[in-house]
Amino acid sequence: MSLKSEALKAVAVMLVLGLVTVGLGFAAGNYRGFYLALTLGGIIAASSAVYLVIISMKNAEDARSVAVPTIQSLWVSTSMGLGYVVTAYAPYFKYPFTVATALFTLGWVILGFGLAELLRISRASGMELAV
Amino acid sequence: MAVGGANGRDVYGDFATLTVPEERTKSTLNIFMIYMGVLAVVAAIFAGSGLAKMYDAATMLKVAILGNIVLAIFGGLIAYVGGSTRANTYMILRYPLGRLGSLVGNIVVSAIPLVVWYAVETWLFGLTVNVIYPNHPLTSIAAASIWGGLLMMVTAYYGFRAMAILSYITVPFWYTLVVIGFFASVDLAGGFSKIWAVRPEVMAPIGAGITYVVGLYAAGSVITSDVARYGRKPWSGSVAWATHVVFFMTALLFAGGVMTLLTGSPNVIVAIAQIGLGLGALLLAILGQWTTNDNNLWSAALAWINTTGKLNKRAWVLILGVIGTLIAGVWAGLWGMSLAPFINFALMLGYFIPPVGAVIIADFYIFRPFVLGLRNPRQRYRFGPGTKYYAVNVPGIVAVALGGAVAWYTSTVNLGAPVINGIVTAFITYIVLITALHKAGVPWGIGEWVERETGF
Repeated sequence: MSLKSEALKAVAVMLVLGLVTVGLGFAAGNYRGFYLALTLGGIIAASSAVYLVIISMKNAEDARSVAVPTIQSLWVSTSMGLGYVVTAYAPYFKYPFTVATALFTLGWVILGFGLAELLRISRASGMELAV
Repeated sequence: MAVGGANGRDVYGDFATLTVPEERTKSTLNIFMIYMGVLAVVAAIFAGSGLAKMYDAATMLKVAILGNIVLAIFGGLIAYVGGSTRANTYMILRYPLGRLGSLVGNIVVSAIPLVVWYAVETWLFGLTVNVIYPNHPLTSIAAASIWGGLLMMVTAYYGFRAMAILSYITVPFWYTLVVIGFFASVDLAGGFSKIWAVRPEVMAPIGAGITYVVGLYAAGSVITSDVARYGRKPWSGSVAWATHVVFFMTALLFAGGVMTLLTGSPNVIVAIAQIGLGLGALLLAILGQWTTNDNNLWSAALAWINTTGKLNKRAWVLILGVIGTLIAGVWAGLWGMSLAPFINFALMLGYFIPPVGAVIIADFYIFRPFVLGLRNPRQRYRFGPGTKYYAVNVPGIVAVALGGAVAWYTSTVNLGAPVINGIVTAFITYIVLITALHKAGVPWGIGEWVERETGF
């Protein structure tokens, strides 16, 4: 699989995960939890959608031009994953236990997947992690 | 006097005494993330409480924007010097202050104050951790200051790349969590409708608030070149600096101010802890202080290398980091001694920092292009082995001394805006003195220093 395909796949996965967390926000049953999911998940989904378009317009042969936006996008999503890890169980947001657990788990998935993909894209392209 | 040579050997690390080579430059986003990491500290939010004592929310926002536009221009101009010469602050100072003069400049601007602020931030970190998680041996102020201080040394030890990676993971998370904490605290305090209704009994003049905001970050604006020199484009640092100050510093000040108006306290960490985000508050404190303090330590290490020419960046990071950590953990944390003497000394030096920025601007943007005729920014300063500098640039030293003295004096008699008084005095003094000497055919510098192979 080419670097561009890998990059598009990684960012698309983040987009889906972001949308899933926004969807879980609707199950919060209160505005606090909903707004939190809308903020964190919205940032993941919106930034991933924008970067998907940017990456898809890049020349597949130019590893640098593909890797730079991919790494930038993954940093944003990964950082938001950390946000879910620390906020999911907070009493203020009043998530039902199952929703909180799902968001907490997804937070770790986003965090782990993001870091793994960051390392992989960085190694494959020869670009630094801090582009 | 500027006979340049090729770039030398990077024996100190992170191009402490050399210009950054093209292949090691970074994107504007990278530079932006570093600046955002430096700003990501709860002290920036706390500073908003000062505005809350002076204004209502709408005026506070206006004042914060205006003050930060001034900072954006001041720091942005200095960042462009670093971006176009690829040199750090301490190398740049070799021109407006002379090579020996720059040693004094290094000590005043970074070498001492940044170690003091490192200690203060480390102690604040210990204090915050203790507030969030009291009653545990590892979270006492002394213990938390010590392990926090050691933690903050790690990225500074590994250098610019490590600091950038930490900023990338921290910055989006930190700012999002601050926004969440801010909205939560407003929500708990009665909602947004209350924000616009609350105001202090007496409103201060707009100018006082702008001066306050400029004073908060004027010293930081002077060392923007340390990071901006890594920018791929000459303007990368200026754009990154201006964007982060105008939008994000304004937002942090406004958040702190509004929280103070509504709740009486700007402590976003306590607010976050109160809504059950204990881990979030802890990470906010750890990551925020970390991305700020590693930069303090790193810049201080660069300054000491340029001052002494001894040891390398990693050694200086360890030495200064241990000193700062001991001051925070043992002096303040364990013995309960006040940090006031250190802070007062740093504040005293702080009067002279903005004037240093003023002479950089005056020299780079006025004297060299319009008096010496060096219109191309890349040719105004040259560095490398064999480059000859004046040992002391007399007008530069006089301008900084006078500017600092004016800033200090006007602060004691409450006359105008001390920081701006100092900047304007130094700027005008430098231009008048150096131009007059040059036109009269009198050398403006004393002695000579030839740059060595190592860039020192």
